[in-house]
Amino acid sequence: MGAVGRSARQPTRDDGRLLKTVGEQSYLRGGHRHGRRDFLERLLRGLLDAMDHTADAEQLAAGPGVLQRLDPRIKTLGLLTLVVTAVFVKSLVALGGLFAFATALALASRMTLRRLAGQVWTGVLLFTGVLAVPAIFLVPGDALVAVPLLDWTITRQGLRGAAFLVGRAETAATFALLVILTTPWPQVLKALRSLGVPLVLVAILGMTHRYIFVLLENSVQLFEAKRSRVMGPLSGPERRRMAIASVVVLLEKSLHLATEIHLAMIARGYRGEVHLLDEFRTRTRTWDWIALASFLAVAAIAIGWQWLPSIGDRI
Amino acid sequence: MEAAAVHPQTASAFELLDVHYAYQDIPAFNGVSLCIPAGQCIALLGANGSGKSTLLRLLAALCFPDRGRLTAFGEDLSAERMQQEALAYTFRRRVGLVFQNPEVQLFNPTVFDELAFGPLQLGWKREEILRCLDAMLAEFSIVHLKHHSPHRLSGGEKKRVALASVLITRPEVLLLDEPTAALDPCSQSDVVRFLAGCRGTGRTVVTATHNLDIVAEIADYCFVLQAGRLVAQGAPKDILGDGALLRATQLLHAHWHVHADGLAHIHDHRHHLAGAGTGT
Amino acid sequence: MHIPDGYLSPLTCAAAYVVAAPFWFVALRKVKGQLQTRLVPTVAVVSAFSFVIMMFNLPLPGGTTGHAVGLAVAPILLGPWAAMLAISIALFIQALFFGDGGITTFGANCLNMAIVGPWVAYWLYRLISGETPLASKRRVFAAAAAGYIAISVAALLAAVQFGIQPIFFHDAAGAPLYAPYALAITIPAMMIGHLSFAGLAEAVISGGVVAYVQKVDPRLLSLSTPQVAATGGGEAATLPVGWRPTRALWAGLAALLIASPLGLLAAGIAWGEWGVDDFKDAAVPAQIAPASGNVVPPESVPQGMERLSSFWTAPMPDYEPAFMHNEYFGYILSAMVGTGLVVLAVLLLSAVLGGGRAQRAAANP
Repeated sequence: MGAVGRSARQPTRDDGRLLKTVGEQSYLRGGHRHGRRDFLERLLRGLLDAMDHTADAEQLAAGPGVLQRLDPRIKTLGLLTLVVTAVFVKSLVALGGLFAFATALALASRMTLRRLAGQVWTGVLLFTGVLAVPAIFLVPGDALVAVPLLDWTITRQGLRGAAFLVGRAETAATFALLVILTTPWPQVLKALRSLGVPLVLVAILGMTHRYIFVLLENSVQLFEAKRSRVMGPLSGPERRRMAIASVVVLLEKSLHLATEIHLAMIARGYRGEVHLLDEFRTRTRTWDWIALASFLAVAAIAIGWQWLPSIGDRI
Repeated sequence: MEAAAVHPQTASAFELLDVHYAYQDIPAFNGVSLCIPAGQCIALLGANGSGKSTLLRLLAALCFPDRGRLTAFGEDLSAERMQQEALAYTFRRRVGLVFQNPEVQLFNPTVFDELAFGPLQLGWKREEILRCLDAMLAEFSIVHLKHHSPHRLSGGEKKRVALASVLITRPEVLLLDEPTAALDPCSQSDVVRFLAGCRGTGRTVVTATHNLDIVAEIADYCFVLQAGRLVAQGAPKDILGDGALLRATQLLHAHWHVHADGLAHIHDHRHHLAGAGTGT
Repeated sequence: MHIPDGYLSPLTCAAAYVVAAPFWFVALRKVKGQLQTRLVPTVAVVSAFSFVIMMFNLPLPGGTTGHAVGLAVAPILLGPWAAMLAISIALFIQALFFGDGGITTFGANCLNMAIVGPWVAYWLYRLISGETPLASKRRVFAAAAAGYIAISVAALLAAVQFGIQPIFFHDAAGAPLYAPYALAITIPAMMIGHLSFAGLAEAVISGGVVAYVQKVDPRLLSLSTPQVAATGGGEAATLPVGWRPTRALWAGLAALLIASPLGLLAAGIAWGEWGVDDFKDAAVPAQIAPASGNVVPPESVPQGMERLSSFWTAPMPDYEPAFMHNEYFGYILSAMVGTGLVVLAVLLLSAVLGGGRAQRAAANP
C-alpha cells in the first residue's frame, strides 16, 4: 500500500520559481512534473508511481467493498454518468451533494480519506484551486467584501464561479478515481467493450497499457546505462542530447517490438480479426440493478436540483 | 545429401531444400537443406546470429524462403498458400512457436487473455476454451496467476505462461526460441524437464539454443548452424563430443574441455561460471 | 494542456466529441488500410511510445525543463493519421487511468493535442522541408518550427475553449459555471506559457529528434516524406499517406474555425455589455493587476503555481482591461480566422501537391 496517503506533490527545491516549472493534475506524482530534479530520477519515479498505482488499484479492486462487488459494466456506466453529472449540475448545493456521495462511495469501498486526499483532492485543489483564486476578484458582479488596503472586491459571482470550478473538478476526479481504483484494468476494458466501444479499440487499449510498462522499463534502463557511463553531473545540452537520443532509441525499439508482436500474434492464428473472451458473470444480479438505479437517481436529482424552488442555493 | 541420409520413410514434419532467405538485404540463410522428422525432438545449435531464429520463423511460416523449397507435413509452404484460410487454420493449429522475448510472446492484458488468445483465433467454442484453459493453468501450476498482468510475473512464470499459451491448442509441432535464456537455474530446469518429457510422446519439438548443457536431455537429434549454413548434424552424443566443431561454431569457448563421456563438460580454467555446471 | 473535467461545459465537450469523431473514424480506417493485420500491435505500441515520451522532461536552455507532447514528433515519424490515433489513445489512458485530463474533456483534449496540433505540425513540416533530401538541415528547422507552432495552435484552441465558457455558460446572476475567465485573459495567459517554455520544449525535441534520426536511421523519416522517400526505397515508404478523400473533413474544420468567431462576435457583444460596465469601474483595473501576480504571498503559492502554469501563466501584470477588452477580442478573432485560413491554404497547397503526386503515380504505374 505504498501510495496510501502520500501527498500529491512533494515540495522541491525549485518551488517558488514562478513559470519555471510546469505540472498538471494527475493521480500520480511523477506523471507530468517539471522541475530541476534529475531526468532519470524523475522518469524512474514516474515508472514506479505508475506501477504503484497499478498495484494499488489491483489490490484495492480485489478487496471487499461496495463498488468492488458491483458488475464492472454497471459500475463503469454508473460512475461515468456521475462524472458527467458533476459537469452538468447548475447548483452548488447539488454539486456538494454529489461530492458527498462520491466520498461516501469511496469510504464504502474501503478507501481512506487519506488516500482520496493524497491522490485526488490535494492535487486538484493545488491545480484548479489556485487557478480559480483570481476569479474571486476578476469576475465582475455584486461586491461582497472589500479587501482592506488593497482596494479589491470579492464578488458573489466570482466566488460562485470559483466554487463551481473547484467543486466540479474535485467531484468529477473523485468519481473517475473510483472507477479505476475499484476495477482491475482488464475489467475496465471488458466493461468498455460491453458499453459499445469497438473491439479493435479495446484490444489496442489493452495492449497499449501493457506496453507502456515495457517501454517505461526500457527507458529507465536506457538512462541508467547511459548515466553509468558518465562521470559527474551532466550539463544542460548533454542531458538534452541524451533525452533526444533516448526518444529515437525508444522509437526504434517500439517499432521493432510492434513487428515482433505482430509475428507472435500471427503465429497463434491471428488474421486481423479481434476476438476477446468474456469471463465474468453473464448475468447481472438484482443488487447491480439497484446500484445502477440509485446512481441514475442521484444523477437525476442533482441535475434537477436547480428546479426545486424551495431550497436553491444562496451564497 | 545429408538431408537424404536422415530422411526416414516415416513422415517428415518439415523439409528444407536449398533454402535461401535474406532479411532486409542481409542474407540470413544460404542454401540450407534439412529434414525434420515427425515426432522427434530436435536441437538447433548455433551461436548468436547463426540463423536459428530465422529457421524457426521459416518453420512457423512467419517468413518464407526467397529461394528454395520448404514443405511442412508434405505440403509446400509459401506466402500465397498461407493466404488460404483453411490451410492457414490447419497450419496454425498444428504448429506453435514460443518466442524468446516474453515481452513479445505475452501481449495480452492478463494471463487469462493470453491463454485464450490462440483458441479464440482458431474459433473454438467458449466452453471448450474455458475448460482447456483451466486444465493448462493447472498443468503449468499457474492457476494463481490467472488474472495477473504479464509485467508483474517473474521470468520463470512468464516462460510457463508462454508455454501454456502456445500448448493450449495442442500443436503437434512445438518450436522454441532459446527457452532457457535469461532464466534462473530453477526455472531453467523446469523448462528442461518439460522438454525432456516431450521426447517419445509423438510431438515434434524444435528447440533453438546455444546452451549445450541441456542438449543431451532434450534432443534426439541436433543440427548445427553457422552463418546461415548447416554445418553439421547428428545425435547429441556425436555433436557434443566434437570439440573442434563446437569451438569452430563458437558454441564452446576455446578454453573449455569436452569430456570423454560425450557431454560438453564446461570448465573454465580461470573462473567457474555460476550455473554453467548443471549439465554434468 | 490536459484540460480536466469541470472546465468545459457539457455542450462544449459534446461539440468537441462531435468534431473529433469523424477524424478518429477516418484515422482508424486509414491506418487499418495501411497496416492491415499489423494495426493492433503497431498502434498499441506506438501509443505506448507516445505516452512514455510525454513523461520525458527536457532540460531547456536557461535552466528550466519542459515536457514535450510529441505533437510534431509523432506525425513526422508515423504520418498524421497514425499519430492522431496514437496520441488519442495515449491521452485516453492518461485520462482514465492516471487522471491526467478529464473524461468529459477528452474530446476537446484530443481535438487540440491529437488532431489539430499534429496535423498542423505535419503539414508545416512538409511545407517547410519541401523536397529537400532526408538528411537536409532544413528538415531539422522545419521540425522545430512545426513543433513550436503546433503546440501554440493547440494552446490557442484550448484558450478559446476556456475563454468562451463565461460567455455562454453563466447563471442568471452572471456567475460563470465553468472556466471563469474571459478570452481576454485566457488567450494571453495560455500563449505566454506556450510561446515560451512549452513551445521551446516542443521545438527542441522535434528538431533534435529529426537531427538525430537523420544520423542514425533516416528511413524513419520516410513516412512523412512520401515524395522523397519514393526514391530512397524501404518498406515504410510504400505506405500511402494520401488524404484526399478526407479533404472535406479538413475543409469542414477550417470552415468551423472561420465561422465560429462570427458566432462569438454576436454572443460577445452581449457579453461585452455584461462586463464592460464593471471594467470601467475604477476599482476593477486596480484590483486586477495585483490579483494576477501576487494574490497570496509567493512563498505559499508556488506548489499550485507549478501545476497551474502549464496552461495558466500569470496574466500580464500591467494590462489595462478596458483597452484590452477590445484589442484582445479583435486579436482572438484574427487569430481564429488566421488558423482557419492556414488550414484552407494548406488544403489548397496540398491539392496542388496531391495533383502532382497523382500525376507522377499515373506516369509510372
